[in-house]
Amino acid sequence: MTASALIALAAAIAIALSTVGPGIGQGIAASKAMEAMARQPEMAGTIRTTMILALALMESLTIYGLLISFILIAKM
Amino acid sequence: MTFTTDFSISKPVITIWVITAVLTLLSILATRRLKDVPGPLQNAAEAAVSWLEDFFGGVLGKKNAKRYFPIFGTLFIFIVVSNYSGLLPTAGEAFIIPTSTLSVTAALAVIAFFTTHSIGISRQGPGGYLKSFLKPFAFLLPLTLLDQFVRPFSLALRLYGNIYADERVTAQLREMFPVLLPLVMQTLSLLFCFIQALVFTMLTAVYVHEAIGEDE
Repeated sequence: MTASALIALAAAIAIALSTVGPGIGQGIAASKAMEAMARQPEMAGTIRTTMILALALMESLTIYGLLISFILIAKM
Repeated sequence: MTFTTDFSISKPVITIWVITAVLTLLSILATRRLKDVPGPLQNAAEAAVSWLEDFFGGVLGKKNAKRYFPIFGTLFIFIVVSNYSGLLPTAGEAFIIPTSTLSVTAALAVIAFFTTHSIGISRQGPGGYLKSFLKPFAFLLPLTLLDQFVRPFSLALRLYGNIYADERVTAQLREMFPVLLPLVMQTLSLLFCFIQALVFTMLTAVYVHEAIGEDE
C-alpha cells in the first residue's frame, strides 16, 4: 500500500473511532440531565447549563481526533 | 512545531486589532452619558454585564466574581466576538479568524494559566498554594501536577479545534454546493461559537475557584 493510502486510512479511522466514546458519554449525560429536569423543573436552568458544560468537555475529545485527521490529510 | 523569529505582522494580528478597536468604540459609546433610564446601547451593555456577573457568581460566588470580573469578562467577550467573526463574509480569505489559529488560542490559554496560578498565590500565599496541591491525597501529587500542566493544552486545543473545524467544514461545503449547504453549517456555528466561548471562560473560572480554595 502506498504511503498516501495509509495516511488516508489513518485519517478516516482517527475520526471514526473518536466519535464512539464521546457519543455514548454525551447520551448518558443528556439522559440523566433530562431525568433530573423532569424531577425538579425549577432547577432546569442550572441543570441545563451544567449539561452544556459537560457536553462541551466530551465534545473536545472528538475534536482532538478531528484535528489529527486534518493534520494527516494535509500530509497526504 | 517550528519556532520562528518572524515578528512581522500576520493576518490574525490585524483582525485582533480590528476587534479591539470595535469593542473599545462600542464601550465608549455605551458609557458616554450614563442615564438612569438607559438608551438601547447602554441597555444592551448593562444586560450583558449583569448576565456575566450572574454567570460567574454561580461558579465563584458573588464576591470573587465581582473582584475578578475584568479578566473573565474580557476573555468571554473577546472569544465570543472573535468566534462570531467567522460568520462575516470573506472570513478565512480576506481576514483570518483569530481563534481559528493555534497561536491565538494558545496565547489565551497561557493567559488563563498564569491567571489561575497568580490568583492562587495571591490568595493563599506561595507556600499555602503549593501545599494545596497535596489536598485530596498526597500520593496523587504527580497526577495533580500533570493535570495542572495539561489544562492549558486542552483549553487551547478545544477552542482551536472547534473554530478551525467549523471554518474548514464550511469551506468544504461551499465547494460542494455554493450557498445553501454552508448556510446549514453556519446556523450550527451560531450555537457552537457561543458555547465554546462559554466553556473556555467557565473552565477558567472553575480553575480559579479551585486555586482560591476557600471552603464555603
